[in-house]
Amino acid sequence: MREIGRFFSGFASRNGLPVAIYLLVAVSIWIFVLVVLPQLTMFDFSFRHNLPPPKIGGPEDVHTLEQYRYFLMGNEITGGGVNTLDIAVLFKTLVAAVFVTIIDLVICYPVAYLLAQSSQGSTKRLLVLALIVPFWVNEILRAFAFRILFGSTGVINGVGMQLGLWDAPIDFIGENVALYAGLAYAYILLMIFPLYNAIESLDRNQIEAARDMGASWAQVHRRVVIPYAKPGIASGSTMVFMLTAGALAAPQILGGPSSLWFTQIIYQWFNSGGNWPRGSAYAVILLAICIMFVLLVMRVFKVSIGEIGR
Amino acid sequence: MSNLKAFPTGGLYLLLFFLYLFGPLVVMVVTAFNSSSFPRISPWECLTSDWFFKLFADETLIAGLGNSLIIGIGVVLVAVPVGLAAAIVLSQVGPHLRSVMYAVFIAPILMPGVVIGLSTLIFWDRLGTFFGAAYDSFFYNGMFLTIAGQVTFISAYSMLVFLSRLQRFDPTLTEAALDMGASQTQAFVKVLLPFMTPAILSASVLAFLASMENYNTTVFTIVAESTFTTVLAQKVRYGLDPSISAVAVIIVGVTLVGAIIFENYNRFRTHKEARAAASAIVPPIARFATNPLVIIGFVLVCVIGFVAWVGTNDSSVCEANIEQMKREYQQEQLEQQRNRTTAPASEPAAPASPPANGGGGVFAPGNLAPAQPEQEEAPASPFGNVFAPENLQGGN
Repeated sequence: MREIGRFFSGFASRNGLPVAIYLLVAVSIWIFVLVVLPQLTMFDFSFRHNLPPPKIGGPEDVHTLEQYRYFLMGNEITGGGVNTLDIAVLFKTLVAAVFVTIIDLVICYPVAYLLAQSSQGSTKRLLVLALIVPFWVNEILRAFAFRILFGSTGVINGVGMQLGLWDAPIDFIGENVALYAGLAYAYILLMIFPLYNAIESLDRNQIEAARDMGASWAQVHRRVVIPYAKPGIASGSTMVFMLTAGALAAPQILGGPSSLWFTQIIYQWFNSGGNWPRGSAYAVILLAICIMFVLLVMRVFKVSIGEIGR
Repeated sequence: MSNLKAFPTGGLYLLLFFLYLFGPLVVMVVTAFNSSSFPRISPWECLTSDWFFKLFADETLIAGLGNSLIIGIGVVLVAVPVGLAAAIVLSQVGPHLRSVMYAVFIAPILMPGVVIGLSTLIFWDRLGTFFGAAYDSFFYNGMFLTIAGQVTFISAYSMLVFLSRLQRFDPTLTEAALDMGASQTQAFVKVLLPFMTPAILSASVLAFLASMENYNTTVFTIVAESTFTTVLAQKVRYGLDPSISAVAVIIVGVTLVGAIIFENYNRFRTHKEARAAASAIVPPIARFATNPLVIIGFVLVCVIGFVAWVGTNDSSVCEANIEQMKREYQQEQLEQQRNRTTAPASEPAAPASPPANGGGGVFAPGNLAPAQPEQEEAPASPFGNVFAPENLQGGN
């Protein structure tokens, strides 16, 4: 306690009292009122029954595992058995998010390398600006663009059929091709910049040295660039994975009629479903599974958490 | 030395990549000028600007835009000071505490927007219930909730902007000010804040844009109100309509102009001296004309001029033509259909197995299918003739 007091007095004497108060108040409102308390409330709420407002706080308002039990053993649709429906959606969402992350990594690695190591000066600045500009366009509009592109009378089908690659229009929306392409597009920037930052600080001489020693380009990348860029790869992949798994707009607009994203189930419980505690439980499940998955993958690839986001 | 030359595939790859980045946007922008009621490039019907007028007449979208502007300004006013405070606090703590705090501060960016949205909604709802607040109080107000939800993660964005600027701050400046007798508050206001001004500006722009385009969080926190993005999402989900492409034209245009201004401003700042030295050698006009941004600006002016020209151009004649053509085509189809349904009845082979329902083979499979071998001359696309060059002449 005395240490905290000393910290505060040091902090105040360093910044002056008014500034110190501003700094501490702003940061604590942000972290506690906007981040931590809402999360804790949601966590608590997920252990409650779905009660009408007058009964909230009454004797029936007790903690329960009902919402989590429903996720595992739903009783309405599956008849008391394992809730394969929702679990399958969660699993599919995670697999698709991994898939999108890998696509983004494969697409972005060469771009980040070329930008960081090959281009200079104003060309580089212009290229970076060209990278950012598409992401100032509204997320909904970007998804809409992919709807136009992949529709049955869209440009892709038009060009494909004109070239004679296929005869009848392919249902890209129903096959989720449009969804994956749109999601990969939506978060490309979050993959490129960590990669770019990591690769840019690599000394060109290391690459030159490896080349002089007779390494092929593939070997240079495998032995020199990729190990060096590992923190960048890890933080880019983490961001893309988390945001893809938590995406709502793209699946709503680009998802085929039979496909469901886990966030859409949460959305349904909050809106048409009218069951907020269950929606909260599903959100907690999504958050927990995603975090555990990211930690697991980082452990497998031997990356520490501190390296993320640098 | 350039690796772009070392492997030409690199340049080709970048080209393909930027095609992927801009292709969808270009296609979307082009569809805004096609009179076809479904947003598409082919078949091209008529050049029109009607979708823009339809857009401006859309009151829900305009109301949503108004709400979005208010929310955006609110978010900037809260998130930027919070982000600045977080960055300053981070720069003052020891390395161990710093990495812990950094992880906490960065977490809202990684958290799914859906989770932030609904946790904000539940928290204020419970708080309102706890205080017994009325339903029209701010606890249940969509605008307030949306600002609270968006500030949660947009503060972290602006913190990142401030952190990178703070790295270049020379703390001896503050020390000098203190030595000269300034109070700490004065040093903060007169030394640190002016140094941070460019970062404050770019963090504000970033926060405003992030607020405007956010959907995942907003869709939960907005409750009964609507923002520009949620209205747009509703429209897109309800049905595709080229007036959404018209929105895209405006946003892409504004974005490009913003990017050009931003880039020019940066150049102006970083190359002020270099430019002054160079202009002595190269004539300013030549330098001006070869500047790629001037070229982009010129292209942009041309595009705007094109839109204005389309606006004055009357597309109704062309549209009437298309309408007429569709009707004729339908008529033709109908006639062919009729011919086909009557044909089997007169065929001698048909009576071999008289159908029980007495329908005369009308329901026999294949009779209704349009793709009969003898119908080869009928085009696969429903508006096939539209493509014929002579049809388009009426429009322009």
